[in-house]
Amino acid sequence: MTSTKARRRIPWGVYLVLLPTFALLAAFAYYPALNGMVHSFFEWRPGFASPFVGLENYRTMLGDDLWWASFRNIGIIFLWAVTLMWVFPLLAAELVMSLSSERLRFVFRTLLILPLAFPAVVNVLLWQFMYDPRDGVINSLLRAVGLDGLAGNWIGDPSTALVALMTIGFPWVASLPFLVFLSALQNVPVEIYQAAEVDGAGRLRRFWSIDLPMMFRDVKLLFVLAVISVLQYGMQAHIMTGGGPDNATQVPVLRMLDAAFLDTSWGYAATLGTVLFAMTLVVSVVALLAGRKKEV
Amino acid sequence: MGMSRTRRINLVSGAVLSVLAFAGLFPYLFMVAASVKDNDQFFASYWSPAWPVHLDNYAAAWEQVGPYLFTSFVVAGLAIVGTMVLAPAAAFVFARYRFPGRNVLFGLVAALLMVPSITSLIPLFVLMRDLGILDSRLVLIVPHVTANTVFGIVVMRTYMAQIPEEIFEAARVDGAGGIRLFTGFMLPLARPVIGTVALMTVLGVWNDYFWPLLTVQTDAYRTIPAGLAFFANQNAQQWGPLFAGYVLASLPLVVLFTFLSKWFLAGIQGGIVSGK
Repeated sequence: MTSTKARRRIPWGVYLVLLPTFALLAAFAYYPALNGMVHSFFEWRPGFASPFVGLENYRTMLGDDLWWASFRNIGIIFLWAVTLMWVFPLLAAELVMSLSSERLRFVFRTLLILPLAFPAVVNVLLWQFMYDPRDGVINSLLRAVGLDGLAGNWIGDPSTALVALMTIGFPWVASLPFLVFLSALQNVPVEIYQAAEVDGAGRLRRFWSIDLPMMFRDVKLLFVLAVISVLQYGMQAHIMTGGGPDNATQVPVLRMLDAAFLDTSWGYAATLGTVLFAMTLVVSVVALLAGRKKEV
Repeated sequence: MGMSRTRRINLVSGAVLSVLAFAGLFPYLFMVAASVKDNDQFFASYWSPAWPVHLDNYAAAWEQVGPYLFTSFVVAGLAIVGTMVLAPAAAFVFARYRFPGRNVLFGLVAALLMVPSITSLIPLFVLMRDLGILDSRLVLIVPHVTANTVFGIVVMRTYMAQIPEEIFEAARVDGAGGIRLFTGFMLPLARPVIGTVALMTVLGVWNDYFWPLLTVQTDAYRTIPAGLAFFANQNAQQWGPLFAGYVLASLPLVVLFTFLSKWFLAGIQGGIVSGK
């Protein structure tokens, strides 16, 4: 790669090239990240004297029922994300691959992923409309088929709000899992399928014995990504419910932002951010180590 | 009977896939149809397109969504410029030179991929407040430059390291220095990965919700995500203009998706993998 003969001496110019990049990262990436951790031990009052409070913020967190309730909610969101939100993409990927015509495969794949072309915020706002109690699609449909009794205030009712949030984007085929499942299936060598057919393996048998094992590595990656992204879950809840009604859809990110911007407890908010970061880091590092062990 | 097994599988698969595709696209189809209805048409022909079309909804929506689009373009454009000033040169240095501290420095960059932007939001907000740049376009641009420089260095380094050395050898024999090698050879060769990073920057601006929501109050400084959420609150029950606004906000990404779908999808996969 590098011509070792020619450059034994240190190319000092490279440091000059890297300097502006590291200056930017130091100011706007390393500094804030470290500053947040440091100020998790302070009663942080930006612009004023901020007294050191030791572990006080962490003690507050341990007794913060809302914070822990928010983890129960993202726990539920996570379970939903790795089951229902995978089943439909998996089904779609299998069906696309079972089409015999290359052109049809392309057409369906395009139609299925087309929603990805729209901004996430538009998706959420459209679903907010779907749930609208008076004019929304879901209640209009229920009334149109005579099921007026089932029409509900989906995001205004604490008992349905969380499910309503999780149902955004149904059937979730325009998603990373679909893209991953599909490319995993495309990478299965044709010979394996042919051999299976010769052995008389049916479609279901083929799914369990070939497709699933072939996808296992990708599923592990999706699993880790699902953990990381659920820890950062917030935009949908903020737009639709604001964490309500009655905290039924409270999530850690919203709790953290409320601590800072509503309660002006910046130190406490920094603590919650630090804890969220630590959790993300633990998941990433464990996943990295587990992945490495397999390769040895 | 007359139908072969292959044909039967095709029919069943096609039918189920059609239902899935329709379910996924339904909100968007509804949006487009409703975006050209006035409120009477919206209630009278709720489930079907209505005639005549009311393009004036788009004029009304443009009044409010136009500034958000403009700011989003400015923020994305300047973030791309900033990223491209920093990331390709740094990636080139990491990919093509050996120098003390190379691995440590690169490790420092790559480690930032593991820091989600949301968990640093509070201290970054305080920093921007201390710098006195809250409620400006600059406060929106800087985090995108930072995030995409990190992402860009990592993916560009990988890409540049794979380009065979022979291409550079000949130029070096001709006496070309590092700068000439970079601008004359590496940059043109790295165009695909530069395009991916630029596209990622646009996607980032169109999907970053909390930062513009919290740092900016001036309406015209809002980018699409926070701006559109605000717009939705302002136009509740004004269904035609509301949906027209959603369409306008979506158009840039839809156009990119149409013409660059391969890069677009790579960007989505890469972006999620990098934890952004």
